Amino acid sequence: MTTTTAPALPGVSFGGILVSEWIKLRSLRSTVWCYIILIVITIGLAPLVAFAYASQASQPGMVIDVETSQSIAAQVLTASIGFSQLVISVLGALVITGEYGTGMIRSTFTAVPKRLPALFGKAAVFAVVTFVVGFVALVTGLLVAIPVLGNGDITVDLGDGALWLVIVGGAAYLALIGLFSLAVGAIIRNSAGGIAAALGAILVLPTIISIFTVITQAEWVGNLSNLLPSNAGARMFAYPVEMIQDDFLVGTPLEPWQGALVLLVWIAALFTLASVLLKRRDA
Amino acid sequence: MIEAIGLSKHYGAKTAVDNVSFTVRPGQVTGFLGPNGAGKSTTMRMIVGLDRPSAGHVTVNGKRYQDHTAPLREVGVLLDAKAVHTGRSALNHLLAVGATHGIGRKRVDEVIALTGLQSVANKRVGGFSLGMGQRLGLAAALLGDPATLVLDEPVNGLDPEGVMWVRQLTRHLAAEGRTVLLSSHLMSEMAQTADHIIVLGRGRVIADAPVGDIVATSTGTAVTVRTPDAARFTTLLSAAEATVTSTAPDLLIVNGLTAPRIGELAAAERIVLHELTPTVGSLEDAYMQLTADDVEYHAGGFPTPQEDAR
Repeated sequence: MTTTTAPALPGVSFGGILVSEWIKLRSLRSTVWCYIILIVITIGLAPLVAFAYASQASQPGMVIDVETSQSIAAQVLTASIGFSQLVISVLGALVITGEYGTGMIRSTFTAVPKRLPALFGKAAVFAVVTFVVGFVALVTGLLVAIPVLGNGDITVDLGDGALWLVIVGGAAYLALIGLFSLAVGAIIRNSAGGIAAALGAILVLPTIISIFTVITQAEWVGNLSNLLPSNAGARMFAYPVEMIQDDFLVGTPLEPWQGALVLLVWIAALFTLASVLLKRRDA
Repeated sequence: MIEAIGLSKHYGAKTAVDNVSFTVRPGQVTGFLGPNGAGKSTTMRMIVGLDRPSAGHVTVNGKRYQDHTAPLREVGVLLDAKAVHTGRSALNHLLAVGATHGIGRKRVDEVIALTGLQSVANKRVGGFSLGMGQRLGLAAALLGDPATLVLDEPVNGLDPEGVMWVRQLTRHLAAEGRTVLLSSHLMSEMAQTADHIIVLGRGRVIADAPVGDIVATSTGTAVTVRTPDAARFTTLLSAAEATVTSTAPDLLIVNGLTAPRIGELAAAERIVLHELTPTVGSLEDAYMQLTADDVEYHAGGFPTPQEDAR
């Protein structure tokens, strides 16, 4: 081991990189706006969807059992994720492509010339902030929706662990889909291209594959569809009991933990590619 | 101390930097000159690890930039292209860059004051003028109080007061024993600032010497002659194989003969001279001669009035 005699001034540390990335994330308007939109969508949609369920449930002859109530609550609180995932994907890509577009990446890489710690620090800060914001917004949305559901005599049990798993799963899904887009952005390095590619993989690809699933009714196409990042990830916030039997369901649905694992494998693969390119390319 | 050995950079078939070796020493300002596309910026980017050399290597104080544990405290860099997110304020930019090295608000405030950015520190960089952007780049370069500074066109876009400030700053930093490498297109500025000059042309080092030596290489020095008998003397000078141009009825600019020779010629022919002044070679003359064959992007000539009329 080497011994240093000079009064050691701090060099690059991962903690320092995390602070740096936190300053970067919070000091841009695009970040703030994306999170505000996420919060508004998440908290705003929950009572609307709750209202729809409540008016259905208040029809004469409808009896809602406990399990169904909890399942409805899960659907109400996660109804927004289909939209908010798009916002987070855009932000995830922008977090890195914005640096390439403006030239900021050169400042980032001169401060952290080993480069990979900067990428992972950025990813970590973005994922944690997204998880926290998503979690708080989802819980708030549910709390706002509960009185609305009550109008339809649907009572929600907040002591239900499975419901909290849905909330945690939903917030984690947002963080992971954001990471997926960040990795895509790190590979493509261009804002328009990065956003298009990320949204294409999250939104367009599942639609195309599901058309094939319906046409072919083939088991393997259905299984392939289940392995797409957004489809696999969506299992993370599925309430254990499926309320509606889907006639179009082809292939074996993944368990929530399997869905999370599949999405993580996607992210790991993309970050591996992004890391190799990041080290090799000129900035 | 910056040492480049056999440094090369190819972009596909194009060679930007071709087997360049040089040493930038501490305690003096080293000027980096060369026409557009000569490879100055690429070389500077390789020094701080933004571009990977295709061959050779470059070290700062004995280590590659990437291998230093505190790179910002070793080298401060200002690159000619803006390297700042336009949506962020100057203050937050500096805080974010500094945070990686544990450099806090105190030092950030110092460099903001040093570069005169106090009044715009909280404004978004997107609205900055070229000069303010340049000051922010310098502030970022100085953040880590580095022993080595690599400055690409630091005075670009600065007002005269800013140009003078950069000159004093770089002289001061060199006097403190730091290593300063700066590029500029302003020859007069470079002549006043640099102690040593490295000239690049088409990716190669074409000169690497103290400023005085470079200026001394300037040949074909012109002599200014003022005489009431200009017409006759022009004929005589031309016969002596000198090139004569005239900008006023009694004023001749003579190339190809030394001042004493011109004086002798005038004495022999009994021509009255009112002035006989050899013009001292400038860094610009020397530079132009050095790089004449290595300019990649030639400007077109000015159209003559006849051509204009057509």
